[in-house]
Amino acid sequence: MPKNKKSSYLLTLALVVVLYGVSAFLVASGRINKYVSGILVMVLVNIILTVSLNLASGFLGQLVLGHAGFMSVGAYASALFTLNSGLPISVAFPLSILIAGVVAVIFGILIGIPALRLKGDYLAIITLGFGEIIKVLINFFDFTGGARGLRGIPRVVDKSSGISVEFVKFSYAFFLAVLTIYLITAFIRSRHGRAVIAIREDEIAAEASGINTTYYKLLAFVMAAFFAGVAGALYAHHLGVLNPAKFDFNYSVEILVMVVLGGMGSITGSVVSAIALTILPELLRGFSDYRMLAYSVILILVMLFKPTGLMGGYEFSLSRLVRKLRGKNKEKAEQEKVGAAK
Amino acid sequence: MSVLTAKNISVVFGGLKAVEDFSIEISEGELVGLIGPNGAGKTTVFNLLTGVYQPTTGSITLNGQDVTGKKPEQIVSIGAARTFQNIRLFKQMTVLDNVLVADNGSRTYSVASALLRTTKYWKEEKAAREKAMALLSVFGMESLADATAENLPYGKQRKLEIARALATNPTLLLLDEPAAGMNPTETTELMETIALIREKFKVAVLLIEHDMSLVTGICERVIVLNFGNILAQGTPQEVTSNPEVITAYLGE
Amino acid sequence: MKFASQIINGLSLGSIYALVALGYNMVYGIVGLINFAHGDIIMVGGYMVYVAMVVAGAPLWVAVLASILVCAFTGIFIQQVAYQRLLNSGAPRISLLITAIGASIFLQNLFQMLFSSSGKSMPSMITGAPLNIGSLQISRVTMVTIAVSVLLMAGLQLVVKKTRIGKAMRATSEDAGAAVLMGINTKRTIVFTFGLGSALAAVGSVLYSSAYPLITPYMGGMLGLKAFVAAVLGGIGSLPGAMLGGYLIAVSESLTKAFGLSKLTDAVVFGILIVILLVRPAGLLGKNTKEKV
Repeated sequence: MPKNKKSSYLLTLALVVVLYGVSAFLVASGRINKYVSGILVMVLVNIILTVSLNLASGFLGQLVLGHAGFMSVGAYASALFTLNSGLPISVAFPLSILIAGVVAVIFGILIGIPALRLKGDYLAIITLGFGEIIKVLINFFDFTGGARGLRGIPRVVDKSSGISVEFVKFSYAFFLAVLTIYLITAFIRSRHGRAVIAIREDEIAAEASGINTTYYKLLAFVMAAFFAGVAGALYAHHLGVLNPAKFDFNYSVEILVMVVLGGMGSITGSVVSAIALTILPELLRGFSDYRMLAYSVILILVMLFKPTGLMGGYEFSLSRLVRKLRGKNKEKAEQEKVGAAK
Repeated sequence: MSVLTAKNISVVFGGLKAVEDFSIEISEGELVGLIGPNGAGKTTVFNLLTGVYQPTTGSITLNGQDVTGKKPEQIVSIGAARTFQNIRLFKQMTVLDNVLVADNGSRTYSVASALLRTTKYWKEEKAAREKAMALLSVFGMESLADATAENLPYGKQRKLEIARALATNPTLLLLDEPAAGMNPTETTELMETIALIREKFKVAVLLIEHDMSLVTGICERVIVLNFGNILAQGTPQEVTSNPEVITAYLGE
Repeated sequence: MKFASQIINGLSLGSIYALVALGYNMVYGIVGLINFAHGDIIMVGGYMVYVAMVVAGAPLWVAVLASILVCAFTGIFIQQVAYQRLLNSGAPRISLLITAIGASIFLQNLFQMLFSSSGKSMPSMITGAPLNIGSLQISRVTMVTIAVSVLLMAGLQLVVKKTRIGKAMRATSEDAGAAVLMGINTKRTIVFTFGLGSALAAVGSVLYSSAYPLITPYMGGMLGLKAFVAAVLGGIGSLPGAMLGGYLIAVSESLTKAFGLSKLTDAVVFGILIVILLVRPAGLLGKNTKEKV
């Protein structure tokens, strides 16, 4: 690893650790109440969903209208696993997260292959259909709890252990969100990620540059599905109950709005808008009737007037910020020197 | 040894024979011009040779491998790269990234390797960057590496497209009207660059040009296409003095 | 007999799907966009009939006419406000798709605000004695639905094949740039196409709500999705294909119901979409077209 990269990675890691330390302390010590820490977990769940959807829609450029569908598949798979595995929850839950991702990947492959082999907008319509149909199927079968939903999903930590449930939930959510951001960023900044962006820019030119477009389209789409599944597992064990109606088209649209508003192709934008659009509706409960109406207007207005979203392709970089601050300090010091000399 | 051999390829679109019985053989390092009036089927020939269209009949062999019916990206990996008449760059990507995309096939690090940032990742990324910068410097564009492709002036965009094609390590380079929209000075400069890269990268070049005078300057051999058929071929002198060619270009 | 009557139901519903699918098809053909809001135009049409007949007490023909006008206007309005600018600037396709889905959500939620989400019962619009063939009974609604849609589809074929504006539509969808050079006002042609497609959806909406007399703000979603699947099945861009696709989808849906799996009809339709895309992406009657390079 080049030296300057190493220091930038370490710097970012340090920031993440500090951020975690402070917020985990606040949650564990009860300085943040259960309601607020619940919102924090939902913020992190939505960050995972938004960043992963950005991979498929922002970087790959394929509209996905059923991200909540992949989330629901993951949520049910993980909940059914922890309900029936018989393993202690501290083992079963991490395993179930992986299972959730894998099951979402399987569904992603099943609907991705027919849609992504072709050029054109089939993925939008097929994911829209998927999101609706998966709800029908969950309602239809008995093992999913049907329309009544799935209840009694175990808590993420044994009660007897005495550790605060809120703290453990938050820690899982924080770790998974950071991991998602890291993995997707690392993917994008590699030859594979460049291939994915090239397909968005011009599919025919990508082919002519030797890119196997079907493979890369499927890869990016399925990765997005994986993380949606992971978010589902987190969600299921956060709430403890699953209701198929929650994973509807509106939820998929909500995640899409977060991606679009933050900027298609900006991970920083996704994180910021996932935070803002999770917290704002909590503050503006009175306006909840108008939420979807507002979202639809946001989608149209952003596309018409600022198609790159609020952040565009901008990415926050800690090392750049530090360089800038240092540069300013140096300048200041120089100026002071000059001033003193006078 | 021949780099490309196409035998009697034809393609039919909705009952219309867009290209009929087209045959061509290109040797290593040869520079061949493909000319013909508008709508003669030149670009269709390119699309057939690069796998964008599948020929209805006939066969195509590239570097000793049968590539008939293969997909574009497979044909690229066997050694034929192309540019487009109406420039197709990855507009929002940087100049460097445009070239790096085409270098993808030269690298082997896996997705897992990229996610874990292994030594292999760093090593190959470094090599890729060095190769891409070297390619850009051939076109005098290394200082533009971080510029966004769509912000380049027109002539530079054409050059970037050629640099991108070269990044796939081709043995055959297909250029579709590379001088279109350029002024005479730019055109002369481009033709010199093409001659240079042929030497430097040991590639054979098949060049579509609309303007016959450009082709006669640098090509060893010229093929004239009219209404999807080969009308004439030979040295530039032979072709330009062929009465049928003159008729096709100037009309009756 | 139950089987035969399910098939007849299928033909009636299929006619409606076909009418809606034609709207998708025309817009897709001319601007290459999946107009997600098209399904919701049907919903708008339903509410217009409701408002005209129940709230204002107007006779049926006034209601139908009002519904057609409002739908055509809504379709054109969406095209002007949400798509026009992006189409002209050559924006990436995903931007267009996102505004299209935005327009769809907007209509759904606007009507939910105006009329509540609980749905409205429609008055009976088509009355009369059913037709009895042996023990098979065909309702008047079914007969009218099939007759009206077949007539409209034939009429549309005539418009597209024989009239000036039809020729302009075909030219614009073939190559908009060349059409402009040939003196065709492509902007007006696109507006006309959106209007015509939406007007057809209004008729589809009247027929649909005669057969299923409960309208909700979200009714357009699934209906639109199925009509789109019909368009893909028949071959996107092909008008006869849209009809064939509509009938096939509706009949397979009716048969699923006949086998007692009515909860799974939506899933069956979706399964059909996946199979077509795998086996014959150009659809049954569609042409395989290659993007220009």
